[in-house]
Amino acid sequence: MASRRLLLELKSVAKSFGETRVLDNVDLAVEDGEFITILGPSGSGKTTILRMIGGFTTPTAGEILLDGKDISGLPINRRPFNTVFQDYALFPHMTVAGNVGYGLQIRGVAKAEIKRRVADALGLVHLAQLAERYPAQLSGGQKQRVALARAIICQPRLILLDEPLAALDVELRKQMQLFLKNIQREIKTTFLFVTHDQEEAISMADRICVMNDGRIQQIGSPLDVYYRPHTEFVARFFGDNNLISGRLGATAGDMRSIDTSFGSLACAVDDQPEVVAAALGGSAYAVVRPESIQLAASGGQLDGCDNKIGATITAVEFSGATTLVRTKPQGSDIEMRVKLPSRADGTALQVGAQVALGWRRVDSRLVPV
Amino acid sequence: MKKPAGMKKRIAGLPREVNQIGRTPWVLTVLAYGLPCVFILIPLISFLAYSFFWVKGTEVHYDFTLLNYVRIVAEDIYLPVLWRTCILCLEVAVLTILFGYPVAYFLASLDGRKKYVLLMLLLVPLLMSYVIKIYAIRSILGGTGFLNRFLMATGLIQEPLTIFVFNLNAVLLALTVLLIPFAVLPIFLSLEKLPRNLLDASADLGASELQTFVRVVLPLSLPGVVAAASFVFVLAIGDFLTPQMVGGNSGFTFGRIVYSQFGTAYNWPFGSALSVLLCAVVIIAILVGSRFGNKRGVA
Repeated sequence: MASRRLLLELKSVAKSFGETRVLDNVDLAVEDGEFITILGPSGSGKTTILRMIGGFTTPTAGEILLDGKDISGLPINRRPFNTVFQDYALFPHMTVAGNVGYGLQIRGVAKAEIKRRVADALGLVHLAQLAERYPAQLSGGQKQRVALARAIICQPRLILLDEPLAALDVELRKQMQLFLKNIQREIKTTFLFVTHDQEEAISMADRICVMNDGRIQQIGSPLDVYYRPHTEFVARFFGDNNLISGRLGATAGDMRSIDTSFGSLACAVDDQPEVVAAALGGSAYAVVRPESIQLAASGGQLDGCDNKIGATITAVEFSGATTLVRTKPQGSDIEMRVKLPSRADGTALQVGAQVALGWRRVDSRLVPV
Repeated sequence: MKKPAGMKKRIAGLPREVNQIGRTPWVLTVLAYGLPCVFILIPLISFLAYSFFWVKGTEVHYDFTLLNYVRIVAEDIYLPVLWRTCILCLEVAVLTILFGYPVAYFLASLDGRKKYVLLMLLLVPLLMSYVIKIYAIRSILGGTGFLNRFLMATGLIQEPLTIFVFNLNAVLLALTVLLIPFAVLPIFLSLEKLPRNLLDASADLGASELQTFVRVVLPLSLPGVVAAASFVFVLAIGDFLTPQMVGGNSGFTFGRIVYSQFGTAYNWPFGSALSVLLCAVVIIAILVGSRFGNKRGVA
């Protein structure tokens, strides 16, 4: 992706409520035109970041820069950002058109122009026919789109979305994810999207910022955070990764070995200078995604695999498109989970069978304990 | 063979439980509808009936007549006093809202414990005896009362003013002071019900605090304002004690006329007819209030 101009920058931002520190030394750069997602469990501080950018709370320390200028002291109504609130926050006494046109009315835009722009915005979210309805007469998905139209109509520099899809059911949420992504491409405005849902973050974002406990864990593309976790938290947050504890071994190029209870494993460390620099013998986890592991009958061929271990199948769980195979490596108590594409005859996998597991070293990473 | 016996017992027990479930609400229903009937509806019907009787000397004649109503219309004191009383009570309603709204707004804007402590303080006067409060207000408004002394101390007036006691002004001021808590409460509740994120959304869309107040807070608290107004109006128009005690001879209100018919004149049928009229006004006020109140507001 071509590098873009910097829009917004958070520098060493911290926030405390009394004794409780909810944000700690957060550095985040938002590029112009990108779709960035802040992802984290509840209480991780992700909404606090959004509220600080929007101006609803002020940071205890640090700076928020817009185009390089500090905006920490700027009141909410003077910031060129608009927010899509979690529960929409539509004005119940105004029609859809009234809600969408509110920001323009406040700015004293001429009536005829408001009418035209409201029609445009409602057309963009496919709600033109509902302009005269009141929010109480709308479904959740419709309210969502009104809230979006209301946020984009003033052409803000940045749109802040605070878990906007959390209240929708699964089907609708999938549709809205696609819809939001398309709108974002169409209007080319920067979106900062807060969510606790990993799948949502992965499917929508250009970049994901993973938060936990008031700290940024990792910032990167969906592929990065999914396949190349930098911390134990990130490794555990995305699905059912296998984490194998061990002691760090020698580094060779962009590979480093780790000694585990079932032998030495080779892992990629190409973008992790801190792991490369870590002391020999330090504790770490080798991380392998269940779908990156190949499975073969004991003694069978495992093509291109740098790491090979023998294991016993302890359970086979069919779950539609994939089948999860739980195994116990020989000489170890840990469980290795392997996710395979399901087959109609499924019989090849027998509980208690001896199998060989293997994976490429580029598919496994090291994270510090 | 033990099992079926046990099952039989359980099945036999079923209808009894069903019966009990059925019976409890029946008793509750009778109580729920019966008590208001006995204590509200029957008294209302009885005074409605009384308004069609008539009195000779001190003896009530229990036969049908419309003379009481004819008298209300014919004599040119009752309707004008009713009209003046309505205007007075509307003024009271407007004043209580003008004073009560800022108080309610301030209370609703506080956070946490402070809010409810202050609200309790505001409601404490409601627990005090009405008569004591009126005496207190009378002494504040009187010739050597706090109000006059304050105005003299500021140099606005040289001599104590007598415009504050024993006239309609006094009734207006006293009722306003007494009824402010009744105005604050519904407005406070409607402001408190207002979701905070609507204010955030308004600011987010560029509105100043004043713009947010005018376009979001005020319209959404209007049901509370209307409820407060009809509350205060109804309470004020039914009050005879306050006008009696601070109104003097010129502060005559409809409530006092009704009271005098029951008390001094001992003409219950005529008093009842006047009450029916007052009741009609109150019902209209409540209907108007609820109509306005339901039209808008947070769904």
